[in-house]
Amino acid sequence: MQTAYLGVDIGSISTKGIIIDENNKIIADKYIWTEGNPINAVKQIIHDLRQQINEKEFKIASVGTTGSARKLVGAMLGADVVKNEITAHAIGTLSVFPEVRTIFEIGGQDSKIIIIDNGIVVDYAMNTICAAGTGSFLSSQAKRLGLDVTEFGEIALTSQNPSKLAARCTVFAESDMVHKAQIGHKKEDIIAGLCMAVVSNYLNNVGKGKMIKPPIVFQGGVSKNVGVIKAFEQVTNEKIYVDANSHLMGALGVAILSKRAKKDKPFNLNISDINYQTIGYECNKCPNNCEIICFYKDDELIDSWGNRCANGEPTERTLKNA
Amino acid sequence: MVIGLPKAMLYYRYKVLWETFFKELGCEIITSADTNRKILEDGIKYSIDESCLPSKIFMGHVYSLIGKCDYILIPQVVSYGYDNDVCVKFNAFYDIANNTFENINILDYSINVMEGEKEQKGFIKMGKRLGKSYFHSLIAYKKAKKAQALSDQLKSQLQADVLESNQMKLLIVSHPYITYDRLIGYPITEYIKKLGGLPIYADLINKKESLQRSKEISDSLYWIYNKELIGAIKLLEDKIDGIILLTAFPCGPDSLVNELIIRKSKKLPTINIIVDELQGEAGLQTRIESFMDIIQERLNQQERLNQKEINKKRIV
Repeated sequence: MQTAYLGVDIGSISTKGIIIDENNKIIADKYIWTEGNPINAVKQIIHDLRQQINEKEFKIASVGTTGSARKLVGAMLGADVVKNEITAHAIGTLSVFPEVRTIFEIGGQDSKIIIIDNGIVVDYAMNTICAAGTGSFLSSQAKRLGLDVTEFGEIALTSQNPSKLAARCTVFAESDMVHKAQIGHKKEDIIAGLCMAVVSNYLNNVGKGKMIKPPIVFQGGVSKNVGVIKAFEQVTNEKIYVDANSHLMGALGVAILSKRAKKDKPFNLNISDINYQTIGYECNKCPNNCEIICFYKDDELIDSWGNRCANGEPTERTLKNA
Repeated sequence: MVIGLPKAMLYYRYKVLWETFFKELGCEIITSADTNRKILEDGIKYSIDESCLPSKIFMGHVYSLIGKCDYILIPQVVSYGYDNDVCVKFNAFYDIANNTFENINILDYSINVMEGEKEQKGFIKMGKRLGKSYFHSLIAYKKAKKAQALSDQLKSQLQADVLESNQMKLLIVSHPYITYDRLIGYPITEYIKKLGGLPIYADLINKKESLQRSKEISDSLYWIYNKELIGAIKLLEDKIDGIILLTAFPCGPDSLVNELIIRKSKKLPTINIIVDELQGEAGLQTRIESFMDIIQERLNQQERLNQKEINKKRIV
């Protein structure tokens, strides 16, 4: 019986699950849409991962979670490690590209740049309160053009003369795109222009003031878009490395972290029949009115958050009162 | 006579000065509560959209004091001398509050050194308005001034002691009305402590010294509150592990000064955190957690290098 480690990365748009063995080799992986329901997404992903491995051969020894729903899913799975996306991505990428100096990461709502020196993270930046330069920018524009976002990259590559779009802001990019279409720009030129817009937005917004040194690795959902990869190569004049598993780096990183944590307690993958439930309510006990979220596993309170003081500490009874 | 002190903005700078002065004059003092959601919501209601978060919070505190005291203290600060100005908000609060709330009774003093309005003059005028004699007010002011200086010195000394600690030390470069606000800065410093870090506060550093050292980052800056903060970076550079620039949206002076810090002070890992009234707690925690991870990695690497050096020497 071999030991294996599970990493789950629950993002705003997609959920990624991965199982690795003792040598960090991926033995099972799955990528699905979160669809606004992280609990269901994780149930489904665990179910899928189980079918990929022989449970008589592998024993899951520890679990790690990352991504924006890491806390919720961490409580759900009883995770040993709950880690932020930056660290998880850096660890995952370093295990595949030990020489990497710069990581570009563009996800659904987040985009990040991670600067690495001598194998450790020395600097990073995340997008601020703005969706410009993220995956959701691309998918909303795709919808407007009546296309699926997955076709975008291939179409962009056919363009001879990418349109220049005002891409400082998603709202203005949209009106500019409509304008360009109305005056006769070809669809593929506009799409190539959009890919270029994501890249220049990303470099101006997230990558502002950062020293970008090769080798550069590009990951996150948008790294599947060849149009964006090409645009990055044009702007940076460097080779952009994209791993076949580039979308799984966060999950891989947190699986490795959970392996390092070495809690080594047996973990039960049989969660599809358990009823997980969150109940949110406003505390009303003081003027802060904290929005408290209680997390229940088959009616048993296993975690809660959002509470600011001892006054609102949720108990088993809170469920009935709420 | 009851004087109401809004627990916002300059309160964190002048708490002891104000409290001692009014107590010496025989006044009663009430302070508004720690900032909570209701105070913030009231503040948003009584402010224009474009106001910064701390000034919205300030308005909420003023509102909460109306009807509970005879006077609400709102100073009017313009300048502390040549090239030592402050954000115009500190000049405007008196008028904004006066024009926003109908039944408000404001006690004010002004500091506008370039126009000959010094702090002492302002305090004596306030005393007069409360029916106290010139000398009574002067003595109260002198006592209050001494008490404030003593309190500042004590806090500064306490912080100097913890600087020797082995914990990860993060310098919080932020205005005290953000750092210590229950709703904005407090959850952040608490989170840092929870993750095993030690917050060091730039505003507790001796202000004269930090003003002097701020010139190493910029000699043409004229916002005195910002100068006092950035000087602390230079003073503590060798004793801390990282810098957190904590700013409230959309602060004008900070937006310029923070860029300046990032460009001029490259020695230490620095993160710029902007908070707004929308309170995205998860995003904040991700940023702080990963920032502290980075620093921890650096410290571990340093530790490994030091260990290597020691081993080398042993072998020799």
